[in-house]
Amino acid sequence: MASLLFYALSAIAVLCALGVVISRNPMQSVLNLLGSFVAVAAIYLLAGFQFLAAAQILVYAGAIMVLFIFVVMLLNLTDREESQSVWMGLFNGRILGSLAVFAGLTVSGLIAANGNFAPVDTISHDGNLDNMTLLAEVLFSKYMLPFEAASLLLLATLVGVMLLAKRERNGERHGAQLSSQDGGSEA
Amino acid sequence: MDMLITIAVIVVKITCIYGGMIVIAALTTLAERKVSAWIQFRHGPNRVGPWGILQPLADGVKFIFKEELVPDSANKWMFRMAPALSAMPAMMGVAVIPFAAESPLYKDSGPLAIADLDIGVLYVLAFSGLSIYGIILGGWASNSKFSLLGAIRASAQMVSYELAMILSIMAIVVMSGSFNMTEIASLQAGPLWNWNIFSQPVAFMLFLIATFAETNRHPFDFAECEPELVGGFHTEYSSMRFALFFLGEYCAIFVMCCMTVVFFLGGFEVPFWEDAPWFIQVGAMVSKVVAFLFLFIWVRWTIPRFRFDQLMGLGWKVFLPVALVNLLITGGLVSAGIL
Repeated sequence: MASLLFYALSAIAVLCALGVVISRNPMQSVLNLLGSFVAVAAIYLLAGFQFLAAAQILVYAGAIMVLFIFVVMLLNLTDREESQSVWMGLFNGRILGSLAVFAGLTVSGLIAANGNFAPVDTISHDGNLDNMTLLAEVLFSKYMLPFEAASLLLLATLVGVMLLAKRERNGERHGAQLSSQDGGSEA
Repeated sequence: MDMLITIAVIVVKITCIYGGMIVIAALTTLAERKVSAWIQFRHGPNRVGPWGILQPLADGVKFIFKEELVPDSANKWMFRMAPALSAMPAMMGVAVIPFAAESPLYKDSGPLAIADLDIGVLYVLAFSGLSIYGIILGGWASNSKFSLLGAIRASAQMVSYELAMILSIMAIVVMSGSFNMTEIASLQAGPLWNWNIFSQPVAFMLFLIATFAETNRHPFDFAECEPELVGGFHTEYSSMRFALFFLGEYCAIFVMCCMTVVFFLGGFEVPFWEDAPWFIQVGAMVSKVVAFLFLFIWVRWTIPRFRFDQLMGLGWKVFLPVALVNLLITGGLVSAGIL
């Protein structure tokens, strides 16, 4: 039962991930990404990591994807199909991108199936995988430095984005055009 | 046999709690019209059934028989999916709300909640965060400027206030030391002053106001601001799809009221009476929730609407810093052993 569910959810996650790179409508891509996130959260739940699943939904599906949709709506991207043929699309990376996603997922699947990817030092969790007190203790003692480094990175990103936005407002449109084109091909 | 009993208990719990929520949501629509009528010196609906009590049923039947319109220029698939995406997460939040400490159905079956999760707080927050997608997609797929503006306003507002809401709850979580809703409620048993509203008045005010913004209710209902946006994100919707948006909104309000009661007003606990029987606890919980539902309606018909930039300024410049400072002070007091 559990393994059946796992395979079904994995299939959904992979199909949605493929949908992200294949679909021509940016809004559809974003929705596919959302589906993929939810499926991955369900897999976490299946593995007994309740906290991780809730954090996945709360942070990725609840906050980050909303911002994605916001950007897509505000940039008013339309279907890009009329401007390109399928072959152009291939060179634009749509198919290559999906192949890359597929290859990445296959590799991680193979690693997971072989089961020899144990972390370098596993925490002793006496059977309870979902102990939040333990998670907090480890995060704020043993892995304090990586944790703080990650938050510093996020802060740097925030400041960088503010800087770019401010420069755009001062009349330099170059950066704005670049970023909107990037958003179009990646979304 | 044990397996069968477990499944039966779960099915009964789901039927009772979801059924109860739908009935309360339907009655809230009636209450909305009745209370608004009283506030404006009118009678309100009083033709269908005694005292107009069957009005929600009549509304439902009418919605089913109305013609269903899908705009030509709309994105059909997303347009049809949006109401379901809006109603589903709103209804799923109720699964972790505890209605009594002991379930009467079967011995040792735990509290009267559909799922007594250890991460109940995060679960309910996650689903309240997801309920925004229905609004965004509905507004975007309608392909109308009013709908799109409503959707953009709704998403900006919900993202901003979600932050303040989560931070204000975190103060409660720090005090209780648990993400489990039942545990948070049980810790407030005993005398009245054990309720979190007395130890966390700032968090209570922040959370209460943020719930109004999260559910797009007056005075923060910019997503469907009639004088500016016709109907906001549901301008193009008609018939049962519109009813589904409506139902989702009232279910979300019900879940938010349940959260307020569990976090700040002792949930199912009766003041000065620990270990009350289960039906008393259910009664206490439901009456507290109904009081907050009344507050939602009362505010809607009394207080005028804000301006959108005032709302965003309030969220980011007042609520977020106050919630952060409140969390900091709470954390300090808890680690010092005072709270």
